[in-house]
Amino acid sequence: MATSVTAKPASKSKTKSKATLLNALGYKSLLTFTILALACIAGFASRLFAVIRFESIIHEFDPWFNYRATAYMVQHNFYNFLNWFDDRAWYPLGRIVGGTVYPGLMITSGSIHYILHALNIPVHIRDICVFLAPVFSGLTALATYFLTKELWSSGAGLMAACFIAIVPGYISRSVAGSYDNEGIAIFALMFTYYLWVKSVKTGSVFWATLTALSYFYMVSAWGGYVFIINLIPLHVFVLVLMGRFSNRIYTAYTTFFILGLVLSMQIPFVGFQPVRTSEHMASLGVFALINAVAILRYLQSKLSSSEIKYVFTIGVLIAGAAVLGVVVLLTYAGVIAPWSGRFYSLWDTGYAKIHIPIIASVSEHQPTTWFSFFFDLHILVVTFPVGLWYTIKNINDERVFIILYAVSAVYFAGVMVRLMLTLTPVVCVLSAVAFSRLLEFYLKEEESSSKGGDSSDNDENDEKGLYDKAGKLKKMKHEQQKENEAEQGLGINVRSFVVVAVMMMLMMFAVHCTWVTSNAYSSPSIVLASYGQDGSRQIIDDFREAYYWLWQNTRDDARIMSWWDYGYQIAGMGNRTTLVDNNTWNNSHIALVGKAMSSNESEAYKIMTNLDVDYVLVIFGGVIGYSGDDINKFLWMVRIAEGEHPKDIQESNYFSERGEFRVDSEASQTMLNCLMYKLSYYRFGDMKLDFRNPAGFDRTRNAVIGQRSIDLTYLEEAYTSEHWLVRIYRVKKPHEFNRPKIEKGERRFINKSFVSKKTAKKKKGTIKNRPVVIRGQRPSDQ
Amino acid sequence: MVSSALSNDRFLYSSVVIFYGIIYDVIVEPPSIGSTTDERGHSRPVAFMPYRVNGQYILEGLASSFMFTLGGLGYVILDQTQSTTMPKFNRLLLIFLGFICIVISFLTTWIFMRMKLPGYLQS
Repeated sequence: MATSVTAKPASKSKTKSKATLLNALGYKSLLTFTILALACIAGFASRLFAVIRFESIIHEFDPWFNYRATAYMVQHNFYNFLNWFDDRAWYPLGRIVGGTVYPGLMITSGSIHYILHALNIPVHIRDICVFLAPVFSGLTALATYFLTKELWSSGAGLMAACFIAIVPGYISRSVAGSYDNEGIAIFALMFTYYLWVKSVKTGSVFWATLTALSYFYMVSAWGGYVFIINLIPLHVFVLVLMGRFSNRIYTAYTTFFILGLVLSMQIPFVGFQPVRTSEHMASLGVFALINAVAILRYLQSKLSSSEIKYVFTIGVLIAGAAVLGVVVLLTYAGVIAPWSGRFYSLWDTGYAKIHIPIIASVSEHQPTTWFSFFFDLHILVVTFPVGLWYTIKNINDERVFIILYAVSAVYFAGVMVRLMLTLTPVVCVLSAVAFSRLLEFYLKEEESSSKGGDSSDNDENDEKGLYDKAGKLKKMKHEQQKENEAEQGLGINVRSFVVVAVMMMLMMFAVHCTWVTSNAYSSPSIVLASYGQDGSRQIIDDFREAYYWLWQNTRDDARIMSWWDYGYQIAGMGNRTTLVDNNTWNNSHIALVGKAMSSNESEAYKIMTNLDVDYVLVIFGGVIGYSGDDINKFLWMVRIAEGEHPKDIQESNYFSERGEFRVDSEASQTMLNCLMYKLSYYRFGDMKLDFRNPAGFDRTRNAVIGQRSIDLTYLEEAYTSEHWLVRIYRVKKPHEFNRPKIEKGERRFINKSFVSKKTAKKKKGTIKNRPVVIRGQRPSDQ
Repeated sequence: MVSSALSNDRFLYSSVVIFYGIIYDVIVEPPSIGSTTDERGHSRPVAFMPYRVNGQYILEGLASSFMFTLGGLGYVILDQTQSTTMPKFNRLLLIFLGFICIVISFLTTWIFMRMKLPGYLQS
């Protein structure tokens, strides 16, 4: 705007004032530092709701396994952990833990534990596990800041860091106690992307190597690394297609690919997958392509332009056909595994529903509703496309990357709720771009006009003079107007109005984030809290109560059968052997448990004796109205069982005549007689919860149960927790139910000892059971 | 070709917005609206599936998706006012328009949230 001659004095004064501001470079970096530190602290603090409300405890399901594995690693050493064969899970199969986990999480917290203990700071490993995710969220904020700074500006970076620190979509997976792979993986993801953008920008081997190292950490931490190894090749591919190929990209990608490939194969769980599965083939193809392009570039410098055209088309065709042919051939030959079901379901969205019920059964694999988008991202959901639009308007090499990231992530998040997590960072980055650009526009002008307040009259005078003085150099019309606008600007009222409104919205965003975090994402889910009408809080601690009972009152080698959701908790808290758990690697085993739960008692008993089950554990929420109980999950058990045993179990048998899933008297006979129903509602028919409802009223499903009197032949109730949330049954041994118990008064004894009728007087003896022979009659059978 | 597709900002913009909520309608194929029975036994249509985080009707997906788009457009319009070849009055009008878009989208989404999750931002 300072192109005009007349505005020179003003611009001079501006540069002066700018210089004084810039001189205080420390001022700016101090501000940056403070904002980042505050973002980290805010992010850390807002994740502590659960710890403050309850206690420092591991949440949910998967974290319990991670915690157990970490504790094992700390107790034994790392190599023992890698070789750990867990015979207490998946009875009787067992599980090779070292080869089936991403060890990054355990190694991270294990090394923190090691360092702290080396410094003589005795922190329990559980506390490290609980607070790991909040600490890493601070690191994620930093990584996001650097990424956004590379992509746009440092102002946008600060905003992005603030967004990611408190956005619910990320908090949902990283509250204190949620000790899961995602907690550290999002940091690794953002950091890898930052390093990648940096290496594309600089084209140096150094940054590319760092990218590969960061990628290695990501591979060790989370299965979502597949996203990186597909997105980065996609970026390179699109850059090549756009004609933006350069030596920088060539250096960055080849270095990253080779090192990343070799490093990722060091993780036992990943093994040879990077060279054998279809998920990784894109990176290999792009590697071949980029080399082909580089060769062509080289030839281009040697040959004439007419030749090069010819060579180019031929070369591209041959290279493409060769790569495709090799991949297809190898897939056909079975060297390359085709897409695994989980990934395939991302493309063909109906696939999982039909073929793999175990994937479809997990609620976080469902498509995302608008509600989840708004709930997890709030205002950012609106500004994210705006930021995308700005980046497209001002495109360059690295912004292509963020565009691809945004578009692919938003698709995946739409298909699967769980992948909302990968969308969240890019939403923060692009929204920060949108906000920063908007604020830049509306705040900066204000600044300039207020600063040049005293000279503005002067300028206007000069401006007016301009029209008169024809001798001075004329400007183009739009330039003139531009100047006009720049000097006049918008009314200060309009601008401040907009700025205040935007600030209000951001404030609402913060309020929303805190509310969501506090109400939705801070429940440990093994300790429940209910609030009375007077605001008093009641803690429902049934899970730990029951697991503790298991730990104390059952044999050390007792085998507990439950639905797979609770496997990790039983192993982690109860320290007992489980049949199936949340690592759902063996579908048929799970189907067997599902079949046992959905058949009638005698059928179930056969399965349970085959599997050596000692106790059965069911979760029943009918007393307190807990909706995540086993009856509500029951249809999935039936479906999974049906998938493996279609002859014995049919889903349609479990519906009422009108095709509904109910538990009251309209329920089908199969439903009323199945093991899960019996175990859930055993003795429940006699229970009267309050005066308004009849006995046996199920609060979760709002119905009176159909079968009031339930008898168990093969099992007996062993333990029911305080609120009936967890019910444990003991499986009887065969000798126990074959001889039913008879009360003492009803027992009849057969006297076996023979008393002789021969006395001193009566010398004649008798024969016992002597047949009485009457003439003319056949001897009757006794 | 790709560069033209990538720089076709409107296309990308709409394709991103489409994913909010609409993809669920396509995959799950829920009913367009639901119905509920009120205390007098009349059946009333319901556009929003209350209390269900993982479920929605087609109509609510479309409506909220539209609101998200509207809000985004508001921000774009606010940015467009930077365009230099614009009379001041038009500029003010545009700012006003963009502002209204944002506010309407924000408030409507907020109301949607209250319908979906009674007790939102309370307690």
